[in-house]
Formats: sequence, C-alpha cells, structure tokens
Amino acid sequence: MSETEHIIKLKGINKTFTRGKERLEVLSDLDLNIPKGAFEALMGPSGSGKTTLLNLIAGLDRPTKGSLEVAGQDISKLSDGQLSKWRSSHIGFIFQHFNLIPVLTAQENVELPLLLTKLPAAERKTRAATALRVVGLEDRMDHRPNQLSGGQEQRVGVARAIVHDPTIIVADEPTGELDRQSADEILGLLEKLNKEFDKTILMVTHDPAAAERATLIRKLDKGQLA
Amino acid sequence: MTLGSLAIKNVNRNRLRTVLTVLGVAVAVLSFVMLRTVLDAWNSAAEYAAQDRLATWHKVTFVMPLPKRYVDVVRAVPGVKKATYLNWFGAKHPTRDSEFFANMAVDTETFFDVYTDMVVPPEQLAAWKADRQGAIIGKNLAKQFGWNVGDEVTLTGTIYTGDWKFRIRGIYTASRRSVDQAQFLFHWDYMNESLPEGWRDKIGWITSNIEHESKGPEISAAIDKKFDDRDIQVQTMSERALNSQFVGAASAILTALDVVSIVILAIMMLILGNTIAMGVRERTREYGVLLALGFQPGHIVRFIIGESMFIGFLGGLTGLALSYPIVQQGLGRFLEENMGSWFPYFRIPVPVAVAAVVLAIGLALFAALIPAWRASKLDAVDALRRLG
Repeated sequence: MSETEHIIKLKGINKTFTRGKERLEVLSDLDLNIPKGAFEALMGPSGSGKTTLLNLIAGLDRPTKGSLEVAGQDISKLSDGQLSKWRSSHIGFIFQHFNLIPVLTAQENVELPLLLTKLPAAERKTRAATALRVVGLEDRMDHRPNQLSGGQEQRVGVARAIVHDPTIIVADEPTGELDRQSADEILGLLEKLNKEFDKTILMVTHDPAAAERATLIRKLDKGQLA
Repeated sequence: MTLGSLAIKNVNRNRLRTVLTVLGVAVAVLSFVMLRTVLDAWNSAAEYAAQDRLATWHKVTFVMPLPKRYVDVVRAVPGVKKATYLNWFGAKHPTRDSEFFANMAVDTETFFDVYTDMVVPPEQLAAWKADRQGAIIGKNLAKQFGWNVGDEVTLTGTIYTGDWKFRIRGIYTASRRSVDQAQFLFHWDYMNESLPEGWRDKIGWITSNIEHESKGPEISAAIDKKFDDRDIQVQTMSERALNSQFVGAASAILTALDVVSIVILAIMMLILGNTIAMGVRERTREYGVLLALGFQPGHIVRFIIGESMFIGFLGGLTGLALSYPIVQQGLGRFLEENMGSWFPYFRIPVPVAVAAVVLAIGLALFAALIPAWRASKLDAVDALRRLG
C-alpha cells in the first residue's frame, strides 16, 4: 500500500502533559499510518496513551512535537477555529458514555453536527432520520435519551457520528458501558459502516472481543506502539 | 431545531430550578414595578399639575385665611382670566373617620370654570348650583363610601365643628391625571352663612386661570405686588410649582425608593447568575461534546447567554403579568380610592412596564457573562473528562 493512500499519517509524535512541576510524556516519537477504509482497534493498558492518541488524530488536542496529517491536512498547523471546522466536517465521534444531550430527542441529538452546516432545516431533519434508520432506530426518533436503553443510546451516538458523512470515525471505548448483546450490536454497526459505507474507523477499546471485530489491532504501551 | 432553539431547550432541563428562578425574577420585577409606579404616581401630581393655574394664599402660612374681597383684586390683575376661591373644610365621615378625603367649600359660580379638568355632567352641575346643601364628589370617593347622586350625607366638622348635612348632586371625573378624584365639594355660601359673625367672609386661598402658562411667574409677581401694602400679604405660585415643592419635601423617601429599586435589580441579577453558573457547571461535559463535534467557544457563549436571556424574558413577562392585577388593579385601585389626595393616578406607566422586561433581559445577559466567559475557555478534552 503506497503512502499516499494513508488517511492518517503521524510522524515523530510526542505528547507531554505538565501537572504542576511534573512533566509526563504520554506519547513518545510515535509513527503511525492508517490506510483509508481501515477499521483498526487500539488497545493497551490504562495510561498507555490510547485516548491521547485518539484525541490527537481527531483534532481535539495538539502534539507537543511531530507532524500530524489527517484527511490530507496537516492539522497541527490549524488555528483553533479552523480545527473546529475541520472536525465538524471530517470527524465523527462515538463516546464511551454516549454523551447525548438529555433535553433533545434522538433525532435532534443526531441533527446536532448538521447545525454547523448550511443545510436547510428540512434537509437536516431528513438526514438525521436517515442516520437513525441506518442504526435501526427509526421508531425511536422522538424519544429522549432517558427513554432509551443503553444500547439504543449508543446507537443514537453512532447515528450522530455518521450524520454529516465524516471521513473518519473515532470511537473511544464505544462498548465500555454496554452489555454483551448491545456491544455486539454496536460492533456490528461499526463493521457495517466500515464495509458498506467505506468509513475509516479507529476504535480504542479494552475489550478483546470488541477488538477482534476490527481488521487490525494495534497495541500501545508506555506511549509507543508495540 | 436551530442554534437558538437549542439554547431555549436547555431551559427545560431542570424544570423546578427554572420555575423557581423565573418566579424569583418575577417577584423582583413585581417589586421593581411597584416601587417605580409609586415614584411615578408621586411625581405625576407635580408633573401633570396645571401650569396655567395659580394659587394665592396667605404669605405667612397656608392655614391662615384671606379676606374674600381679595378675589376681586386678583381678577383685576392683567393676564388673569378667571379666579375662584375655596376653603379647606377638614370634615370627616362620621363613622369612618380614619379615611381621609379632601372636602372643600367652593364658590359654585366660578369653581368649575377654573378647574376645567374636573368634569361634571351639565344637569348635575345645574342641580348642584341650585341646591344650597348640594355637594359634588369625585368618582373615587363615591365608590369608597358607596355614595350616589341623591344620597343625603352627614360630615362631622373638625375645623368648623358640628354635623353638616349635604345632598350628593353630582359626581365629577378627571380629564387630567393629577386631579384627585376623591374630593368633596360643596357651597362656600352654605359654610359661610353657618359660621359666627367674626369667622365669615374669609377664604382659604384663591385659584386663578391665566392667559398663558409662560406668563405664570410675572403674573404671580403682579398678584403678590397688589397686596404688598396691605395688612395681609399673599404668596402666589403655579399649581405645578406648588406640587413640586410638596414632592421635593419628600425627596429623601423618593431617593430611598429609587435606591431600593436598584437593589432589587441587583438581587434579580444574582438569582439569575447563580442559576446560570450552576447550569454551566453541570453541563461542562456537554460543552466538551459540543466542542468535539465542531462547535466553537462562541457558540457555547451564545447558548449560555441565550438561555439566560430567555429565563430573564420569562421572568420579566411573569413579573409583569403579576404586576397588573396586584399593583394596578389591587394596590392602585385601593390607593386611588383611599389615598386619592396623595396618589390621584396610580397606574403602571408603560415605560416602567417596558423597562422592567428590558432590564430583566438585559440583566440576565449581564449575569450570564462570567459563566459564559468561563465556559468559552473550556478545553474540549478536559471537559469530556468531567463526570456528570
């Protein structure tokens, strides 16, 4: 596979946090290339830097050192405002705790990323409905998060992550709060998004069964890929 | 859904807290409206008093009488169109003596020519003039004591002692908001003829209409000058100047009310600020999610300020909705009917109502500034780590 086909290219990445007087190097001299259309799992012990790496790739954080090219853009050079806009069009987030807005219905939660686009209201609504249909929740559109099960909440989270047709989906422990059956349903959805919709997915997980569903498992330990 | 509706939907998040906050703001708005209406009502007696009407009284004090013949001298002063005279009678209701109302002996022929802002139906005016014991009363007084045209009433004199019998012949209304609609007016002759010889032909003060209000000071001076070499000198000033002096005497109270109304606004802001700050703290993680999705700090600021302004708007409207029945219909009616001399017109001024809502919204914006600014400084990664 040639280098130009990689949608995520990290070279010499360092990430250091400062807590008081202490400097903590979470990622050190890390290189990583992920091809377009991949479904990769990132595993490792707590504190190994998985979420930090995910945050860097998703443009939520900046590296201390190194180059970071995602979806054809060197995102380390973007301003905060540019980075927000870049995230809104290229990244779909799936969180461990679902992170739905409790006062919004499932459809409104899914519509959230589209509020940042210039789409008319009717089109936003249609797209949100389509995304909910993809995750099998077309009959729960008007339900609030507290009227849904954990698995359904996460499916709304998945719909929210895909509604704006992002280039990359990042999932941080997407099954961490779910029972086995619900977790399997979510992983099935991620597989479907990867295979049928050609989405590049990067998933952080502690769960070996979840990682098995990915096409590649990468292991991170003490800030470096094993 | 729009960005604006997203901000407003947050109001629904903790309904009890929102309702309590809205009620807190509403009570503050109600208090503000009440105080401002008191101030306005107090000042309106001066603000809306006639400028083309002069009052002339004893130079030493208002309570010392003038000779009745002074009226003719005043009528002859250039610029004076008409003049009338009256006496403060000071009688009380025989059984409800704690309920104050102004009662005066007036010249039936000229009184309503000078006090053109007191309106009496012509047939009632004619009946009053024809009946020596007739009385005309204000509509608020009629309501206060349940008096109607044709009723016979007795007042108990305090200055002019004894029981005084009257027949209600008419009810006047006001065409100017400074007019006390709780007065009791009867024939000066009836009072004068009932007095002992030495008390007769004395009047309390003279009221005159002048050609133009701009000539008030010079005509006042001309009237005063006419009596400079007499035993009893007079003092003349416009009705508005007189009322302004009265209002000025109460300036300390008015200033205190002003200060209290500002303190109330500050309390309203603290109530709102506290609610918004709590909401922002609880939603830190949600703001992290929004930032992750691509929303910018400016969006977060607008959500918070929009939510606060909406609560302020709801509180302002609720406060106003409470103010009209409580302040205008309840307190206002009571004051106009029972303290009409002090508060002849006690209504919520439109500018006060508008200001109350605008201030509630404006202060809500101000109260949200610090929580919004702090939320705009959130880092998405840190915010997402927060619990709750």
